[in-house]
Amino acid sequence: MKYETGCTALHRASPRVKLVAALILVTGTALLPRRLGPVYFAPAAVLGGLWLASRMPLRYTLRRLLPAQTFILGIALLSLFSPSARPGFPATVTKSNLCILALLVLGWTTPFPELLQALRRLRLPSVMLTTLALMCRYLPVLAEEARRMERARASRTFSRKRRIAWQNLGAILGRLFVRTADRAERIYLAMCARGWR
Amino acid sequence: MKEEARSAECGVRSEVSLTGEGRSDGGGPRGVAALRVCELSYCYPQGQAALEKVSFSVAPDECIGVLGPNGAGKSTLLLHLNGLLPDRLPKEPNIRVDDQPLVAGTIDLIRQRVGLLFQDPEDQLISASVFEDVAFGPRQLGVGGAELQGLVGRSLGLVGLQGFEGREPHRLSHGEKRRVCLAGVLACGPSVLVLDEPSSGLDPRGRREFKALLRGLPGAKLIATHDLELVVDLCSRVLILDQGRLVAEGPTLSLLSNEELMLAHGLERPHSLLHLHPHG
Repeated sequence: MKYETGCTALHRASPRVKLVAALILVTGTALLPRRLGPVYFAPAAVLGGLWLASRMPLRYTLRRLLPAQTFILGIALLSLFSPSARPGFPATVTKSNLCILALLVLGWTTPFPELLQALRRLRLPSVMLTTLALMCRYLPVLAEEARRMERARASRTFSRKRRIAWQNLGAILGRLFVRTADRAERIYLAMCARGWR
Repeated sequence: MKEEARSAECGVRSEVSLTGEGRSDGGGPRGVAALRVCELSYCYPQGQAALEKVSFSVAPDECIGVLGPNGAGKSTLLLHLNGLLPDRLPKEPNIRVDDQPLVAGTIDLIRQRVGLLFQDPEDQLISASVFEDVAFGPRQLGVGGAELQGLVGRSLGLVGLQGFEGREPHRLSHGEKRRVCLAGVLACGPSVLVLDEPSSGLDPRGRREFKALLRGLPGAKLIATHDLELVVDLCSRVLILDQGRLVAEGPTLSLLSNEELMLAHGLERPHSLLHLHPHG
């Protein structure tokens, strides 16, 4: 999720209010009946309104929704074989997409540090806060490291054979894993040096 | 009793090794060293010796440089000063900070007193915003609310980054990241600053500014580095480590002008001292 410096009313609203509202929307949507019906218009209308108010570009929204479809379709397919034997497929797909849209709007209008601050005020356990903060901090570092390794690999790859490409990818992933483990160790030491227990 | 005997022995040892400066007990006016390391040895888990009987002391407000080739044990030594190594602290302390022994019971206090700046700022900057990162250490000490806000503001002011509280670490330059790390360390109120390669990766201007910043900070400083010009400018005394052993210790100018010694340990005479007489 990416915070975009915008100046809509939603961007300016209190992060805590936004967080609680998003959670209510997600829970409310998830509790809707398993059969698709008119009641689904209520969360869809609210979210549609919020989406318009946040001025999130359509392209950006679709690009963020697309990768989630694999998981959603997987779960929806499983629901077809559930013992309750009621048609849950369209409902599951709609519910999941509405929930993700709620979180996307939240992420689009709220900087991540402010979200963490809100979670801290809502008394989320500090281990979870630290984990979330570390994830937010180190995902770009990891991505940059992967990009550098990929570039270094590309500069020394002289063959277009697919088998070699796959081998290289395996080597990069392995190396990235080892580097990440090393970094995790150093981060832990640096945290201990500042009094982490 | 045994501990006292060991300390006394170390005092004698440093008196012998420190020639010329008259700072033999490592003590300033109060006579208590800010940091005292006594016969520190360490083996890697694979059994290879990393440090062998290293002893030295640092006076309050003294700045000393730790030099040596790659793999000499500099970083390992620095990790010991903060109790990050060895995994199990010995019952007989090898390290004293402000005369407090570094043992399991005092480790939190020592980690507050000894501020450690790591070589790669990416390892040290762990939070999603600059404010959160500088606040990390003080929060562990139970500081919060308006006091924390003030402390973070002051610490950022000390490193020349006023108003950076809301910035995200991954959008800062390398020099700024290093300064934020330093602010995070200073916020804990250390009496000894231990710096691992503080000038690596900085451009000449960044290096100059960071050097000026370090010069202005009070307290004892221990700088492990390959940047000999930084050592000439900031450090009054130098330790040279090689293969885990303390091979030389003395005033910066006389040690760094000794070409034979420098070359023997993978170092070289810095440019600024090329035309200086070793005893001049």
